[in-house]
Amino acid sequence: MADVILKPIGNFDLTVEAEVVTPDNFAGKTADEIGKVLVWQGPAEYPLTDFFTVEGNGGSSAEDTTIIVDGEIPRVKRIGQQMTAGKVIIKGSAGMHVGSAMEGGEIIVEGDADSWVGMEMKGGSILIKGNTKDHLGCAYRGSWKGMTGGRITVEGDAVSQVGGGLSGGEIIINGNVKHFCGIRISSGLIVVKGNAFRTVGAEMTGGTIVVGGNIERFTPGFELVDIESDLKFNDIECPGEYNKFTGDYAIPQKGKGTLYVSCDNNECL
Amino acid sequence: MQALLNTGSTINEGRLAKGGNKYSEDYTKECAVCWMCAEDFTSLGCPEKVSVTSRDGKHTVAVRSKVTEAMRSGQVFIPRSIWANVVVEPDTFSTGSPRYKGAPVSVEPTDEEVLGAEEIVLTLYMGGE
Amino acid sequence: MVFKNIICPVCGGSCDDVQVNLDTKNRTIDVQNACKMGNAKFQEVVSSHRILKPTIRENGKVKDVSWEEALEMSADILVNARRPLFFLGSETSCEAQEVGLHIAEYLGAPADSNATICHGPTVMGIQESGMVGATAGQAKNRADMIVYWGVNALESMPRHMSKYGVFPRGYWTKRGRFDRTMVTVDPRVTPTAVASDMHLQLNPSSDYELLSAMFTILNGKEPHPSVEEITGIPISVMKQTVEMMKESNFVAIYVGLGVSSSYGKHRNIEIALNFVKEMNNYTKCNIGALRGHCNVAGFNQLASYLYGYPFGLDFMKGYPRYNPGETTTVDLLREKDVDAAFIMSADLVNHIPADCAKYLADIPMICLDIAPCPSTTAADVVLPGVIDAMECDGTFYRLDNVPVYFEPFTESPFSETKSNEDTLKQLFAKIKAKKEA
Repeated sequence: MADVILKPIGNFDLTVEAEVVTPDNFAGKTADEIGKVLVWQGPAEYPLTDFFTVEGNGGSSAEDTTIIVDGEIPRVKRIGQQMTAGKVIIKGSAGMHVGSAMEGGEIIVEGDADSWVGMEMKGGSILIKGNTKDHLGCAYRGSWKGMTGGRITVEGDAVSQVGGGLSGGEIIINGNVKHFCGIRISSGLIVVKGNAFRTVGAEMTGGTIVVGGNIERFTPGFELVDIESDLKFNDIECPGEYNKFTGDYAIPQKGKGTLYVSCDNNECL
Repeated sequence: MQALLNTGSTINEGRLAKGGNKYSEDYTKECAVCWMCAEDFTSLGCPEKVSVTSRDGKHTVAVRSKVTEAMRSGQVFIPRSIWANVVVEPDTFSTGSPRYKGAPVSVEPTDEEVLGAEEIVLTLYMGGE
Repeated sequence: MVFKNIICPVCGGSCDDVQVNLDTKNRTIDVQNACKMGNAKFQEVVSSHRILKPTIRENGKVKDVSWEEALEMSADILVNARRPLFFLGSETSCEAQEVGLHIAEYLGAPADSNATICHGPTVMGIQESGMVGATAGQAKNRADMIVYWGVNALESMPRHMSKYGVFPRGYWTKRGRFDRTMVTVDPRVTPTAVASDMHLQLNPSSDYELLSAMFTILNGKEPHPSVEEITGIPISVMKQTVEMMKESNFVAIYVGLGVSSSYGKHRNIEIALNFVKEMNNYTKCNIGALRGHCNVAGFNQLASYLYGYPFGLDFMKGYPRYNPGETTTVDLLREKDVDAAFIMSADLVNHIPADCAKYLADIPMICLDIAPCPSTTAADVVLPGVIDAMECDGTFYRLDNVPVYFEPFTESPFSETKSNEDTLKQLFAKIKAKKEA
């Protein structure tokens, strides 16, 4: 296993787009070569060494390469975009589009991550130890299919449009979400252990959503069908009693999804 | 008092803005106004002027108060203008459009002066230049 | 001299029946048929506060300069910036906006327009689900049920109700107002709500839930009872509204910022559009946005056909990209991700949140406008604007995306420029010369 350590040194007055920072790209390159890889800032390209110091060579293949970003990079976007193997560890907060369209490998963000984490992700795993914002594992603008495989875990909160258009894979949020969690999903699983504000599972035509906390404003097009307890989806366990709803009947599509809502935290339902 | 802030056009706001009169006394009179229902107005102690503060407490603007039957309790309205936008939240929920409607604000009585549009730009945005 | 059939350059209504009597000797103008807002704008032709000289700010002091100097300084700012923002406002022609877009592409800069802080979410919603639309004339001649959702038409587009919406006598609506049912959905008791047959006074930011519940009813299911408390509207009233729609011959729904700007944003529009599609199984139904500025629809059309995206374009990588929340004005300014700005025919400082306005005032800013406003106060270079539809010809897109060609009744007060398009072309030439030198 070869570790490439990137230490941010500044110059982030404008945001930087670093879609080249992936194990696939760094594999087989020396530290020197990695430092010369070009990233975008505004309409110009600059070598990576303008923003980071580079230590360590890439491995022989993507699987053998681990990229460690040793610091805060909230203004660097698209780290790990389309990566297929290997590992990326960001020891602080990350900018937008982390692991966008990722196909394999592993990303760990120890701080917060901005919006669009794992957009249309196909495989692999992402762990966000802090909070994230909107469009986690979501579909691109105008597209109806979001994430199709892999797993995203957020230990903190997410905001809006979590897993929009999800058609496979799993999203686990240990904290809370706000609006439109699981909008228009057709397959896959979303587990929210905390609270949701509103419109959970809006327009869903398949898949499963579990909300362990309270939903402040319930989506109108759902119908109560059953009560189940101690849910288990492979290795994901959701103890307690759950109201099982199907929906969303607000849209005419035939398929309907399943929404489990904790009984204890939602007495009014 | 906590309230949800709604902003939007009024015909005179449109007339004055389109007529290039944003620095007129009339524009301040029309737009630097916080509409509320009688119930909220009374609970605030019938103030002539109120200060409206954004949820994060970062921005405050003083405006005149106006009682109207158009509003419900817990909701306030400021015509679309620089005064309203001082307290509108800049977060766009990834849509590009800030929260012009339904931003949570706090409204309290105040004795502060109601600034004109130009003074707001000069003092609040340009650092008193 | 009297001029007829002048296009009004104020709101998206683009009224085409304005009559103007311009007395150049006494510098007065008499305007017939225009609304309060329209009349005010026509007075700008002879107003005393019109910006007639370019100015620049030097060491904190504003001073008059020649056009040549002002354009030179603007070009310097834009060429020296690494990522200038182009805000191509809507109160000018598509022709001027087009030049602006080309400059942005040339410099690899982001370009945006008023839609971003207006009906941007509507446009995003249309992208998500497509739109059943109609021209304003269709609704005028056929619609017997009008729904104003989240829009105060009487005050934001004062002649909409009389020209297209509620009062005019159409081919199949010969008795005008008496042949139409008018419903308003608004959390506020607006003058439009007062003039309606029915007012659904919903709670703020609950448009999605209300639409979703009405859609559920349309699909023959019972919405979850909690929706009554969330929206403040009884389910029986929702059922009645859906029934009224189904029984009408032609329903025209007009949405405003109440739907697209309250939270839910593009999702509100998306479900409204899906609802309208489904409603067409029962009757004719269409939806349209009441666009606030005269050519705000134009920028969306223009940018879409030139570059594929309706607003919030970013040419950073040489090709257009689009992601609202990342490449849109408010977000770029909030995140301090631009370092200069060019603002044309829009008072951006007045209409964006404080944090963004403050940053905009901090960075070098060029502002092209006709009258003093917060943006010109905060600007480093002010270029005087030419008033479209009064002093030069060009094209607007009306609220229903119909292009309207307009002709002037007087001419540009400046010998240096004929129109905003002309000004921008001169600026572009200077930018090219500097960049290629």
